[in-house]
Amino acid sequence: MPASPALLHDLRQRLSQIERGLGEAAFPPVPLCPALDRHLPEHGLARGALHDVLAADPGAALGFCAVVLGRLETPTLWIAPEADAVWPAGLQSLGLCISQLILVRYRRPAEGLWAMEEALRSPGIGGAVLQTSHLDLIAARRLQLAAEATGNIGLLLRPATEARNPSNAVTRWQAASLPNPQAAPHWQWNLLRSRGGQPTPWQVTCAPGGVLQAHAP
Amino acid sequence: MSRRYLALSLPLLPLDRLRRLDPSLLDRPLASWAIQGPRRQLVAADAPGLVPGQTVADAQAIQPDLVLFPADPAEDAALLERLALWAMRFTPLVAVDRTEGLLLDATGATALLGGEEQFVVAVTSRFRQDGFRLRAAMASIAGAAAALARESRQDRIVPPGQERDAIAPLPLIALRLPPDMIRSLGRMGLHRIGQLCRQPRGPLARRFGRVLMDALDHATGDRPQPLQPVRPVATFQAVRHCLEPIITRPAIDQAVEALLAEICRALLEASRGARRLTLRAFRVDHRVQEITIGTGAPTRDAAHLVRLFAGKLDQLEPDLGFERLTMDAHSTDILDGLQASMARRDGASAADTAALTELLDRLEQRVAVYRMLPLESHWPEYAAAPATPHEQIVLPPDWGNETRPVRLLAEPLALAVTAELPDGTPVQLRYGSRLHRVLYCIGPERLEPEWWGHDAARPSRDYFRVQTAEGPRLWICRLGEPNVLPPRWFLHGYLA
Repeated sequence: MPASPALLHDLRQRLSQIERGLGEAAFPPVPLCPALDRHLPEHGLARGALHDVLAADPGAALGFCAVVLGRLETPTLWIAPEADAVWPAGLQSLGLCISQLILVRYRRPAEGLWAMEEALRSPGIGGAVLQTSHLDLIAARRLQLAAEATGNIGLLLRPATEARNPSNAVTRWQAASLPNPQAAPHWQWNLLRSRGGQPTPWQVTCAPGGVLQAHAP
Repeated sequence: MSRRYLALSLPLLPLDRLRRLDPSLLDRPLASWAIQGPRRQLVAADAPGLVPGQTVADAQAIQPDLVLFPADPAEDAALLERLALWAMRFTPLVAVDRTEGLLLDATGATALLGGEEQFVVAVTSRFRQDGFRLRAAMASIAGAAAALARESRQDRIVPPGQERDAIAPLPLIALRLPPDMIRSLGRMGLHRIGQLCRQPRGPLARRFGRVLMDALDHATGDRPQPLQPVRPVATFQAVRHCLEPIITRPAIDQAVEALLAEICRALLEASRGARRLTLRAFRVDHRVQEITIGTGAPTRDAAHLVRLFAGKLDQLEPDLGFERLTMDAHSTDILDGLQASMARRDGASAADTAALTELLDRLEQRVAVYRMLPLESHWPEYAAAPATPHEQIVLPPDWGNETRPVRLLAEPLALAVTAELPDGTPVQLRYGSRLHRVLYCIGPERLEPEWWGHDAARPSRDYFRVQTAEGPRLWICRLGEPNVLPPRWFLHGYLA
């Protein structure tokens, strides 16, 4: 007797939760836009997980992180080595409100990792961005475990040259800009890796307030 | 009950410091000198026949094997402050008295050691054991105690109310008056404090001014001088004395936990929460190490405070061990108890806010944490300024509606721009080794400097939103400098 699609779907869901060590407690994913949500196995960007963002272009990668953090509607942390890593006046139009954003500046890479782990372990925030150049798999695994405990979403913003290094993040994106006559946000989001899903390139436009529209070319 | 002060006078402190550093100097004549005007004079001397103020040449003639060191007042002052901190083990109120004395407010502290006599013996014997020579005097007036300590032959305890009689026979030098004034008073036949007290005040004040009157009133207690403690007295304090000096990290951790638990109990009883806590570790060699933490919101959660201290305890250097640890809460705010069920009334937000505050406290111990405060200014870099992360942010209306970059460079990059016309739109731009062709260009958006601000003289800026053929959108600006041709261009930020 063939199993019904609903039963299969339910079983897959439970298996993926067990694989990620989440047990029965699932966190609702962060919705991006209908087209992207249908494509992603979690029907959105999974909470309680790490996501890799590779910056082919600084503006596009910052835009990706800002849009995701803006959807959380909780206090969020932006952990970066420079003081001028982000400019909040530009994030407002992407949906990330200045009152929800707390910035952290670290000097040594180890301090940045520590701050990210503390942030992911805290129930007081919804998500955090760590801007870093290199991250080894053990450190990434620690962060993943920290995120699983609280359901916080962790974004690792790294340079595009890191694409050749392996990652244990749930998804890996590469963000680049596409030309736009209005000089308004228009991005190429390459989903390079997705646990339980298909890698696909996406073209995304962002309307004021962080409303996304995506289509696969 | 009157106050009781213990004054310690350490006139040989500079020499004791040298002898502690080099024990081979212990039984040799020793002096330190400094240049005073054209001559080298002794400032402290410990040898028969030598007094401070002699010239170095005279001193060497009297004592041929005299060991001489240049005086180091800064080092002496630092040592005196260290001793003052260490003396806080006897009483919480300790002050440094000029350059060679300490003043301890012993009110209420003497009973702990069995009485005034035992208190004085306990304090002086600890100093003497460690090679500091000193005189002590206890009295109800700080100034009188200090004068007695300086000029008495042995340690004295003056019962309350008898200070005037006790200081009457002391020479005027005990008041630390300038030498010229002592000489002028001597010419009038006034050599002792008692004689001075019997004189009418009016003529003395007219002749010698405020300095003499102040010194006299401080000594007699008519106008007592307030004590300036080395560290302010904390409202909440917890103390641990260690039977054996503690050296290991687990022992220190345990002591800190116990101290914090005690402080938090006291805070709970007073309905207050700590904003700033200082851990003082008294080492056996009279050094005191301090670690201070601050919190963003008043707290009395011992587990949270232990975590805040945990990161900083690495700075302690136990060396031979700590014999005493104290925890002070100097800054506290009212913190009313919240019933768990009441706090949960507005959803889970109260618990989350507390968790966020604790997270920020932990992060602030190691990294810089800040929020950006929106400001009402059209000048791009003044649109937001860093503020503490606990700041409540109120968004001004219409703030952030202009198109601004997601990253604004703190130091704009100089650009080499090719334009069709000198004041036209750019066609191609280069920064570093990167070359970008311009596809579309939106602008200019002209911004004039704020004429009411301090940079009213800066040139105006023309901003362009540039779409490059390669993809990146850049926010570039042309300076409106009237006499500069071709105009200067800068890359100021990256647009999303």
